Amino acid sequence: MNDRRRLILLCVITLLPVGFAAAENCLEVVADLSHPYSIGWGIDQANHRLQHDTQISRDNVGSLELAWVYGLSSDKPRSWPLVTKDTIFIGDTGNGVVALDRDTGRSPHEGEIGSAILMGKVNDQEVLIYTDRSAGLFAVDARDGKPIWHGQVDDQPVPLYSGTPLIHEDLVLVPISSAEIGLPLNPFYGCCTTSGGMAALSLADGQTRWFRPTIQTPPVRTGGHWLLVDEYGPSGAPVWGSPTLDRNRGLIYFGTGQNYSQPTTDTSDAIFAVEVQTGEVRWHRQFTSGDAYNLACDVSSDHPNCPKPSGPDVDFGAPPVLVRSQKGEDLVIAGQKSGEVHAMRPEDGALVWSTRVGRGGALGGVHWGLAANEALGLVFVPISDVAARSGPGAPRPGLFALDIATGEIRWERSRTARCADRVCAPGLSAAITATRDLVFAGSLDGFLEAYDANTGEVLWRHDAWRGYAAINGVPAEGGAFDAHGPMIAGDQLIISSGYNTFGQKGGNALVAFRLPGSAP
Amino acid sequence: MSDHDRPLAGRGRRLLASLIDACLVPALTVLLILVTGILESAEAYRDQMWVAQVLGLSILGYLMLNGYLLWSRGQTVGKAMLGLIIVNSETGEQASIWRLILIRAWFFPVLFLTLAPPLTILPLIDLVPIFFGRRRCLHDFLAGTMVVTRE
Repeated sequence: MNDRRRLILLCVITLLPVGFAAAENCLEVVADLSHPYSIGWGIDQANHRLQHDTQISRDNVGSLELAWVYGLSSDKPRSWPLVTKDTIFIGDTGNGVVALDRDTGRSPHEGEIGSAILMGKVNDQEVLIYTDRSAGLFAVDARDGKPIWHGQVDDQPVPLYSGTPLIHEDLVLVPISSAEIGLPLNPFYGCCTTSGGMAALSLADGQTRWFRPTIQTPPVRTGGHWLLVDEYGPSGAPVWGSPTLDRNRGLIYFGTGQNYSQPTTDTSDAIFAVEVQTGEVRWHRQFTSGDAYNLACDVSSDHPNCPKPSGPDVDFGAPPVLVRSQKGEDLVIAGQKSGEVHAMRPEDGALVWSTRVGRGGALGGVHWGLAANEALGLVFVPISDVAARSGPGAPRPGLFALDIATGEIRWERSRTARCADRVCAPGLSAAITATRDLVFAGSLDGFLEAYDANTGEVLWRHDAWRGYAAINGVPAEGGAFDAHGPMIAGDQLIISSGYNTFGQKGGNALVAFRLPGSAP
Repeated sequence: MSDHDRPLAGRGRRLLASLIDACLVPALTVLLILVTGILESAEAYRDQMWVAQVLGLSILGYLMLNGYLLWSRGQTVGKAMLGLIIVNSETGEQASIWRLILIRAWFFPVLFLTLAPPLTILPLIDLVPIFFGRRRCLHDFLAGTMVVTRE
């Protein structure tokens, strides 16, 4: 009899005299929080997005079958699950954090959970760490969802906690972007004064240990527009993606976005290396200069708050990946919305190689995340190439495998539009996830596919552009795959389908696939 | 002729008068937002205080535009242009200033804030009673007023 069955039996015996109320408490104890399948947004802290802990392989992926669907409450779900031995934690906007397979873990927090969910330990007790996009960082008891602390960064007036934090020792490293990307839509807003940054909060109590703004120069008035509103700069350089940990060097790496106003800085569209304990900048390297943009430019380039000149909005949304090449050389590899992938030396940021893969644009190029397989010497690059402030040339939506050491394209798998019954956007915007011999990617036109990591051959496909019968009774609809992408855990593949933030097809289906014959 | 004997305002004229006010008050509110600069700084958005500030300015704009006319003649600018007057529904006399300011003046800015769905239903609910009896909107009932013609 295994431990779980022993606990259930113990609960049943205990239940007899103490009644139904005790039953709930007992079931809470049964939830097994051991064996988490990820320790960060990148599954590992180097952001490889490579799942070793799975039975899904090239040989059996073709038999993956739909196991169950959970109906989420948002049609643009933006949370990534944490999977433990027997529990799946997922942010379900409106319902807070829910723990599937058990009724425990329901949090009283009901904001827009914008990140993956992490697990850490406070006073020997497992806590879930996640962000609400506007309200900050939350730590809740993993067993019952009770709040432990709520942290915010006070250094900026309108921070957005959009990226997934990273837990390292007693710190929670939190990427900070800013609502100022959208506030300039209001022509009466004096654009712009905030800086993106990286914050380190105490895992024990959520207090800020350090905050490193990506723009050190204080903003000053730079002029005014015809509505008699003052203009300010520099601003922007937000951090949208999770940091990447380099344990050996004591560094974290992260990418920044564009400036929100003129003048621009040399820290926008850049990769930073920062000392993890102090927040001191070791180096930063800019890849696109002069990129000033905010959402007012999407209304019109004549909008009074659109910077003049405005830029292409080609930030680094995807976290960098720290890899070791087959020659034993460490590299920081970063994919940019420009459609380029860059490799740098971790010591000083010196450029080793740079490869243009896609046409690029405001929605990628590389949008959410790469994956890497050091054993194969490959970094996998999903290209969106949605038409939005696009770069030059023809779009190249699809999946590419680049040689880690040289940046040469080893294979590519273009995706073509299927316009008859769906939005003509075949690209890969969502982050991807790899295994030892596979790469899983969800497309904007609703296909979830498994590629052979060695050749790019598509070995399995699921069309999510459909309705599902959900286990929780909520009408569930699939749609575009975007945002955090697939999670692989043991014999399971879990992914949210639907995301209508930028005109894609919305949906609310959390879909789980499983190898046949494996235990639930 | 006492105000009590004046004919009830037609629904079309009331609507037109309201539309005039609905253009003038936001326009002045926008001007006040510009002058005060309350939406210019990121700090204003830190704790959503800007919502209360805009509401306050819209009430101020309403009073700046209509306050004197309401006090002296029981009219807003729109109603003055269309020859309408707000009177006490029981006496037919010009409505007292506290009814016009403390109840009606609050009502309209709040309604403006309900333009966003799903609250849009509230202004429609306000309008329903105008199609019955003495053509009084919900806010007329709350303020104890009705609208008659000036002639």
